[in-house]
Amino acid sequence: MRTRALVHLASLNLRSDRRGALVNAGAACVGAAALVFFVALGLGVGQAARRMFASDARLLEVVPAAVSLGGALGGGLLDDSAVERLRSLPGVAGAYRRLSLRVPVASSRPPEGVKVNWPPGFTVQLPVVGVDPDLLQGDVARGRRFEDPPPGRPIPVLASRRLLEVYNKTIAPAWNLRRLPPGFDLVGLEFPVRVGFSIIPLKTEDKVYDANLVLVGLSDRVPLYSLAVPLATVRRLHAEYGKADPGYTGVTLEARRPDDVPSLAEAVRRMGFGVDEGDRALGERVGLAVAVTAGALALLALLMTGLAALAIAQSLSASVRGRTREIAILEALGATAADVRSLVLAEAGLVGLSGGLLGVGMAFGLSLLADRVGLRYLPDFPFRPETFFAFPPWLFALGVAVSTGAALVGALAPAALAARVDPARSVS
Amino acid sequence: MISLSGIHKRFSDGEEDHVVLDALDLQVREGEFVAVVGASGSGKSTLLYVVGGLDGDFSGEAKVAGQDLRALDPQGRAAFRNTAVGFVFQSFNLLPALPAVENVMLPGLFVPRGRRAAPLHELRKNALAALSQVGLAEKAARLPAHLSGGERQRVAIARALLSRPALLLADEPTGNLDAKSGESVIALFVELVSRGMTVLVVTHEERLSTRAGRVLHLEGGRLR
Repeated sequence: MRTRALVHLASLNLRSDRRGALVNAGAACVGAAALVFFVALGLGVGQAARRMFASDARLLEVVPAAVSLGGALGGGLLDDSAVERLRSLPGVAGAYRRLSLRVPVASSRPPEGVKVNWPPGFTVQLPVVGVDPDLLQGDVARGRRFEDPPPGRPIPVLASRRLLEVYNKTIAPAWNLRRLPPGFDLVGLEFPVRVGFSIIPLKTEDKVYDANLVLVGLSDRVPLYSLAVPLATVRRLHAEYGKADPGYTGVTLEARRPDDVPSLAEAVRRMGFGVDEGDRALGERVGLAVAVTAGALALLALLMTGLAALAIAQSLSASVRGRTREIAILEALGATAADVRSLVLAEAGLVGLSGGLLGVGMAFGLSLLADRVGLRYLPDFPFRPETFFAFPPWLFALGVAVSTGAALVGALAPAALAARVDPARSVS
Repeated sequence: MISLSGIHKRFSDGEEDHVVLDALDLQVREGEFVAVVGASGSGKSTLLYVVGGLDGDFSGEAKVAGQDLRALDPQGRAAFRNTAVGFVFQSFNLLPALPAVENVMLPGLFVPRGRRAAPLHELRKNALAALSQVGLAEKAARLPAHLSGGERQRVAIARALLSRPALLLADEPTGNLDAKSGESVIALFVELVSRGMTVLVVTHEERLSTRAGRVLHLEGGRLR
């Protein structure tokens, strides 16, 4: 039997049993809709989590061990020789030193040229970390330089790319500061600061002087609540204030491939150093939680699809038993057992296909509704997405394919039953 | 056209075997109109199903329209039913959900592999021509429920003619029809025979058997 003839006859049969076809398509539709909805939700929330906890999968933060036997086992202090040993580990593409500035830096005035409703007397202590420039070079804005400046020149800094979002959604509302407009270009802003000044009086240095910081770029490689300056600047300031540099605060290792990171972390721990999981671990935990939840819901949806397949099997079996004579007539007219089997499968396939298309559409519609409800009732928070759903094209195909597949699986037994009809016994 | 020799057919009702056809012989030439008459339960329909390739579970030799039915597998028998014979049943056996024209199109949907399958629009055209041949072109869109008994049987005949078979097999074709409708169906058979078609009818109705060129009696599983 040719495909067009098969589809034609299957459509005619479905039209003649509209009620059964609608019930079966409804079952397939619910399964497909649930599957697509939950998978889209998982993908969407996962994407939002990745934006929220952006991290480079190839980076590993090495810190001195919390408890260490020191250099006796080769661990403990993160000095230059330790950095060299870390750099020579297999799979390491680069090792970048980090050194926290131990000289306090505070800002009592807003950045030049930006009105942010700065409260009188308001002072912000700025955590500053010195970083090997090579780590951040890719994020430095065109025409800007990230290197220790000559005396009197503004100190270049890089901030976290997420800072604007966090400022607008958390800091500004909490301190009644003016929010910065979307797309606002922070690069080039100069921040007047007081070097050596701390909001904790005992920590203020004897020498305090005014300086300017200039933002030269935004980077996901900078911790959210820190400003990154060139490592040389931190060394210079430490020397200026007589602070010793016994070792680095941390070393960022760049692995050649993301897959190398776990083995690198293991090697680092064996060397006696610690690994700061930080944002990456949080991101991974959130991602895992989202994946597990979405997976469980998708499994539930698959179960629903399985139940739909069972319902279709039962309904089609009853339909086949009720159409024994019609099937015998078709056989008398030349249909083979394979034609009859194909006909029942085609009917199920059409039901599954239409149910799947309807289900995918329903899932998309429900997602739009859920987004509207979410945007209306959920509080504004950093990185709140415009949509909690992601619909890659393959998901639409998956919904329709699973629905059609479930219907076909459900139709296997009824199709076999139909193919066993003996025309000589049933035709009259 | 039909050559049956020593056909045995029996079936079991679970307790005992019943012989339906017992060493039956039958020869029918091309263009002949043969009626097989017999009492109810004498095996007339079984004989028709054997000749038409609906029932392959028999012993003996059966050659119909040049085909050795014993040598055919189920697919071969299906192809034989589709191309070599046309069936007409007492209860019409139209699919109730399909309009007359779609019912007539049905055999064209099961064209065996290796043969040209007409596209649907061509099939519909052929079905309308077949309906026109039996005088029902204007009722092509009607469902069987909206046709009279005689009209339904003529739709069934149009369906049997769609594949242009050489042999028409009819099982009590006038059994459910009133006198007038039955007469029109008989006249149609006579016309088909006059055009060279072979018709084998099983019936217990005299009005039909008297119009056949030859009448055979089935009794005790054999033809007389």
